[in-house]
Amino acid sequence: MTSEEWLKEASDTLQPWTRESSWPEEGRLDIVIDREAVLPAVEALVAARWGYLASIMGLDHGPGEGRMECIYHFCRDAAVLGLRVEVGRDDPSVSSVCGPIPSASFFERELAEMYGITVEGTPVPDKLFLPDDWPEGVYPLRKDFDMTQLEDGQD
Amino acid sequence: MDNGREQNETFIVPIGPQHPALKEPGHFEFSVDGEIVQSATARLGYAHRGIEKATEERTWVQSQYILERVCGICSHIHAVAYCQGVETLAGVEISPKAMAIRALAAELERIHSHMLWLGVAAHEAGFDTLFMYTWRDRETVMDLLEGLSGNRVNYSVNLLGGVKFDVSPELKEAILKGVDFLEERNKHYLDVVTGDEAFLRRTRGIGVMSDEEAERLGAVGPTARASGVARDVRIQAPYAAYDIFPVELVIETDGDLLARFVVRIRELFESFRLIREIVNNLPEGDLTVRMPRKVKAGETVSRVEAPRGELFYFIRSTGQEMADRVKVRTPTLCNWGSVLTTVIGHQLADVPMILVGIDPCFSCNDRMIRLRSRDGDRSWTWEDLRRYGIEYYR
Repeated sequence: MTSEEWLKEASDTLQPWTRESSWPEEGRLDIVIDREAVLPAVEALVAARWGYLASIMGLDHGPGEGRMECIYHFCRDAAVLGLRVEVGRDDPSVSSVCGPIPSASFFERELAEMYGITVEGTPVPDKLFLPDDWPEGVYPLRKDFDMTQLEDGQD
Repeated sequence: MDNGREQNETFIVPIGPQHPALKEPGHFEFSVDGEIVQSATARLGYAHRGIEKATEERTWVQSQYILERVCGICSHIHAVAYCQGVETLAGVEISPKAMAIRALAAELERIHSHMLWLGVAAHEAGFDTLFMYTWRDRETVMDLLEGLSGNRVNYSVNLLGGVKFDVSPELKEAILKGVDFLEERNKHYLDVVTGDEAFLRRTRGIGVMSDEEAERLGAVGPTARASGVARDVRIQAPYAAYDIFPVELVIETDGDLLARFVVRIRELFESFRLIREIVNNLPEGDLTVRMPRKVKAGETVSRVEAPRGELFYFIRSTGQEMADRVKVRTPTLCNWGSVLTTVIGHQLADVPMILVGIDPCFSCNDRMIRLRSRDGDRSWTWEDLRRYGIEYYR
């Protein structure tokens, strides 16, 4: 099957949760879903055995826009499906997908510590990359992070 | 062991962060019942350098040089992923010749990486003779990389819009000769790895991962292919010159450590074949095309097959001189899950071999560390650091 056919199949599977969808480039489909839809949508993809989870990443649109995104990329051959979830910058959270995809644990730990996005129900909520004495509430991959936030409390 | 169970005592054995099995930092905790591992957890980040963040304040060109330093072993493939992503965003198409040279360097890099791994893995099994021989022979491919680029590691063959180096007729001869030598040597290593009874006892039936498990745990690269998962970006989504020089899938189904050895060595033969094809049929054309200083707004995903498996880049431009976001998802991060699961039920003594079995690369999955100035508590900006560097070498 071609990438377009794979992605069409994914798009049909995700129909119940789709808010918007777009084809940003050849072989790629982005589907915007609600925060509450993360787990059921991922479960549906896993049940349909559609590709594999290649990454979970955060994207901060900056304090001006006041929103962030979590993007779940699934790959199948050359096709790349992006599930995009918008979260606010104050108190952002998404639910864990470690139930259907246990290997998501590392991605979720990285997402939580780098962006301050709470991943509800993730099995290991500890830090993965950042040191244990990293200050609370400082998230290095947010756009408004700056080094002065680290002046105190570091080794 | 039965006594241990009766007493119901579980010990936690911490391994790392200094040199857990190989000379890179990572921390693992294995709870054991007697000698048998019951569960495992990981703590990474000891070599995290903030490279993703760093790309947000560097120009498109500067970012390439920092991304090449994500990993000292697979530096080339990071630059390939980055450059082809940025080129896609900018709408620039590079010449077939540049693509072929990218693939050539990528295969040379795969040889150097797999042979390095073979040595390290042999060392973990206490087979230092194999370690020393493989590393001696690996010098051949290091010399070829140096011949191409002038550097043994961090060869920096890429450039936004193409490649920097051409293959001279002398280099072509040297490559063909070197590849012939390495092919002979690796035939021998395949015999050793599959025939040496003492070594087989460390690898056969150890760390077994079924294909279903490999899928479920999200394994990539040779680790997945040793478990019968047909996954190779060069084949599934050909990039660079892999559509002109197609790759044949190398796959094993046993899913144990031995299969991981066999897959990697057999992949070397595939790399030798590809290298011969590429240098014998190098397309004509320019090495570079012009790149704009600002890159059109947009987002792109760039996937490549690093020696350790799929390397995934997400690049977002807002039309400026620098990237808005570069996300790097390295293969090692995907493969940890397989280690933490397959060690369960094994002897503690098998842990180092299973760890090494995925060819872990800590620099790959760690990309941040805090930079502190020596002479005070102030943090240095990029500008400060640059000025310091210029002053220092003045």
